[in-house]
Amino acid sequence: TEWNVSVWGKRRAFTEHIEKLAELVSEKTGGEFTMNVSYGGLSKPKENLDGISIGAFEMAQFCAGYHRDKNRAITVLELPFLGVNTLEEEVAVSHAVYDHPAVKDEMAQWNARIIMTSPMPQYNLVGTGEPRDELAEFEGMRVRATGGLGQAFEAVGAVPTSVPATEAYNAMESGVVDTVAFAQHAHLSFGTINKADWWTANLNPGTVNCPVVVNIDAYEALPDAHREALDSSIDEAIAHYLANYGELLKKWDSVLEEKGVQKVMIDDAVLEEFRAKAADPIREKWIADMSAQGLPAQELYDLVQATLKQQRGGN
Amino acid sequence: MAGHSTVLEDGSLLSRLDRSLLGLERFLALLSGLAVFALMVLAVISVGGRNTMNAPLPGYVDWIEQAMPLIAFLGISFVQRDGGHIRMDILISRLHGRALWLFELISVLLILLLMLALVWGSWAHFDRSFDWSAPLWSRDSSIDIGIPLWPAKLLAPVAFSVLCLRLVLQIWGYGRAFLLGLETPVAVPLIQGAAEQAAAEAEQLEGQE
Amino acid sequence: METIDIGLWVTGGLLVMVLAGMRVAFAAGLAGLIGLVWIFWAKFGYDPDRFGKALTVAVKTAGQVPHSKVASHTLSLIPTFILIGYLAYYAGLTRALFEAAKRWIAWVPGGLAVSTVFATAGFAAVSGASVATSAVFARIAIPEMLDVGYNKRFAAGVVAAGGTLASLIPPSAILVIYAIIVEQDVGKLLLAGFIPGAFSAVIYGALIVGIAVVFKTVGPPVTGFTWRQRFAAVPAALPIVAVILIIIGFVYNPFGEQAWGTPTEGGAIGAFIVFCFAIIHGMRWGELKSALLETAKLTAMIFSIIWGVLIYVRFLGFADLPGAFSDWITGLSMSPMLILICILLAYAVLGMFMDAIGMLLLTLPVVYPAVMALNGGEAVSAADSTFGMSGTMCAIWFGILVVKMAEFCLITPPIGLNCFVVAGVRPDLSVQDVFRGVAPFFVADAVTIALLVAFPGIVLYLPSLAG
Ligand code: NA
Ligand code: NA
Repeated sequence: TEWNVSVWGKRRAFTEHIEKLAELVSEKTGGEFTMNVSYGGLSKPKENLDGISIGAFEMAQFCAGYHRDKNRAITVLELPFLGVNTLEEEVAVSHAVYDHPAVKDEMAQWNARIIMTSPMPQYNLVGTGEPRDELAEFEGMRVRATGGLGQAFEAVGAVPTSVPATEAYNAMESGVVDTVAFAQHAHLSFGTINKADWWTANLNPGTVNCPVVVNIDAYEALPDAHREALDSSIDEAIAHYLANYGELLKKWDSVLEEKGVQKVMIDDAVLEEFRAKAADPIREKWIADMSAQGLPAQELYDLVQATLKQQRGGN
Repeated sequence: MAGHSTVLEDGSLLSRLDRSLLGLERFLALLSGLAVFALMVLAVISVGGRNTMNAPLPGYVDWIEQAMPLIAFLGISFVQRDGGHIRMDILISRLHGRALWLFELISVLLILLLMLALVWGSWAHFDRSFDWSAPLWSRDSSIDIGIPLWPAKLLAPVAFSVLCLRLVLQIWGYGRAFLLGLETPVAVPLIQGAAEQAAAEAEQLEGQE
Repeated sequence: METIDIGLWVTGGLLVMVLAGMRVAFAAGLAGLIGLVWIFWAKFGYDPDRFGKALTVAVKTAGQVPHSKVASHTLSLIPTFILIGYLAYYAGLTRALFEAAKRWIAWVPGGLAVSTVFATAGFAAVSGASVATSAVFARIAIPEMLDVGYNKRFAAGVVAAGGTLASLIPPSAILVIYAIIVEQDVGKLLLAGFIPGAFSAVIYGALIVGIAVVFKTVGPPVTGFTWRQRFAAVPAALPIVAVILIIIGFVYNPFGEQAWGTPTEGGAIGAFIVFCFAIIHGMRWGELKSALLETAKLTAMIFSIIWGVLIYVRFLGFADLPGAFSDWITGLSMSPMLILICILLAYAVLGMFMDAIGMLLLTLPVVYPAVMALNGGEAVSAADSTFGMSGTMCAIWFGILVVKMAEFCLITPPIGLNCFVVAGVRPDLSVQDVFRGVAPFFVADAVTIALLVAFPGIVLYLPSLAG
């Protein structure tokens, strides 16, 4: 079997689990089952789900926020202030949600089946000028943040500004935005860290959710041995991803130091205020909207919280 | 290089159809030009709003991405009518009479084949983003402010269908010229030498100053 | 059959269709579609029962490309740049520039020709398209050169060559297209075009003076302008300076203060300012309408090529041809610099027969990864690289080289659009005359390219300032 896998950008921390999966699967099947990972050659990131539904390729990665209407159920994972603190927790809640029948149904409409997530740390801000560590200072702040995160900042008076990730550096340099919200690896690869004076270490407003899916027909057509090789490699691929991203996070503090970026710790009281203003209304609106569209929204949200509790209890 | 009109006209049914379609094509092209203008105005509003009132246009990028298909697709048939899509005519400019019409006919038939397939394919692309039962019929919307994408996606099959009509007329025109051995058929773009074409283009610019 | 073989066969078929005179956009789209059908059917083992399935997957895959590729924020620069050119024409900026350049520098040998080159360089800063630039200056500059006794062919050659500057000096539609294909920062690329563009203009100027000194009859100097006249000509040309400063300010503020916005916004604001000048200069709805229609036509044409070729490129992605070519290039035992020079020479040959945008779209998806691999990969640091520059810088440097080659192809026979346009504007000049007049500029271009290859700093100085 030969599978085409559509991802985008360059090989980076964000794609390491896919590369590992391809390696493991090929190893286990003695080279009979191979995956060609294509970085942008097969589709545009926003259309990877379309490509899966057409059957143009067998496996792909996408982010829920790219097309909220295509994958309404999993957008629960992009709600602001979910309370996820570590990549391990991110994996646990994502996989719990992916197993929910509402998610499976919605993905099946795209002929897709989610096999794993690409856990991302919380999207913290980098900014220029004086650090903004009081809620009042978010008033009028131009921030590059999309989707639910953008709404969260809007709720406290900031102005979310649409800039493509590739133009984020330019936008910061030119004052189009004052701050940019990204995960650490993206602050590095899009260069926003080079422009920054400070970084919020504990704002942790939320993140994006980027699952890896396979085409259902292709998955079911796999010979048993190959399917077994694929299924059994997922945990190891995720473990590899976590270890690799962990290395990157370890280096993060020294990167900040090297670039002279101040690490801003925000007071718990301020965080609490932010949460009250942003998290609750946005979550309630999300639950109301999604319930109106016939999704078990409350159930999905509760599932996230229950999984978090369980995960922490288990540790 | 945008080509210059070299399509002959007369009172025949074919030529009348050609001119009616031209009316539609010109209208669509003007819409496309106005969209370019709107793009410029949008940027001025966005930059102005940001720098004077700290109020950038919400979803500026989203709106631009919505406008681009309007700009890119609507003029496609207008350009094909005048033979303005780029090609290499080293070989074909040496042909005359039936041989020339045969080459043109085959080439237009192949284009029609492609465009029919693309009407199908781009319709499917639209269809995946459209859902009667969803709010705003949308199953795919822009990242920042959630504008439904289906209207922009629908533009491709619409513009391509108009192009298909144009290609059918050109097949008729070239086919007729081939069968009857015509010298100067109506309703199809006639080849000018490259230099003539440039002269025509320069004239056009001259008319504008 | 290996996917690579399918890739090669379909590419051969595409060349045949293009040579036979099929419109490039549609030939590429059709080749891509047929290639996709072939690839998917091959994957199904050529099972006759599953041909329908392969066809459906291929058609739907190809059908995504037009909307998906065209709905791009960055590509919106192209129609904006086209519109700027048409508006600048109505704003009377072209003639004002030439007049000012003439009064200030026509006194040197070949002075009027040098003025023409500098005026085209100035106009290039508001025009994104080379062909339009040559067409405009053929009307304005050639008559004046002939009046003072210039050699007819030489005058035509100056205008044809001068027009090519429009695609190096920002704004430039071709540079945007390059940036899109290779996924690099548009702003930095536009910035990078500035010095090489001005550099080309200076080399053209030096060549002209040299020719005029050796062959006294070719281009006599024009003297007699007073300082008062010189300064009087400046105000009318100032709007262009304003537009240049605004566009630079948007991309990168040279005064070190905060810049004003993104490159995309800069282009649009530039167009708006030129629009205001055109209104003041007397443009009304009638002219605006024809400017909009012309913009729509050129835009539809360029975008058709873009999505048509990208369908073919999508097929190449499935065939993995770029990867194979890149492996082949990096496996060659020649020196990397020699390989790079061979690639540039191949562009010179290809450019004789092809249009610039089509050439870049067709070749870059295969050639660019190979060049990057040659330098040591996208993420390589300057210290570890073959050409002594980081991956990003190599992308910019190669982009400027390739665009310069694409410009070169606008003046080389047998298909040199700039020369056709100049001959078209001047009924007293044949295409052969223009090609002969432009021949000395081949030397200038060869020198420019050699210097850009030997001293990448000329290209990389500005972008490296921008970080
Ligand atoms: Na230019
Ligand atoms: Na040429």
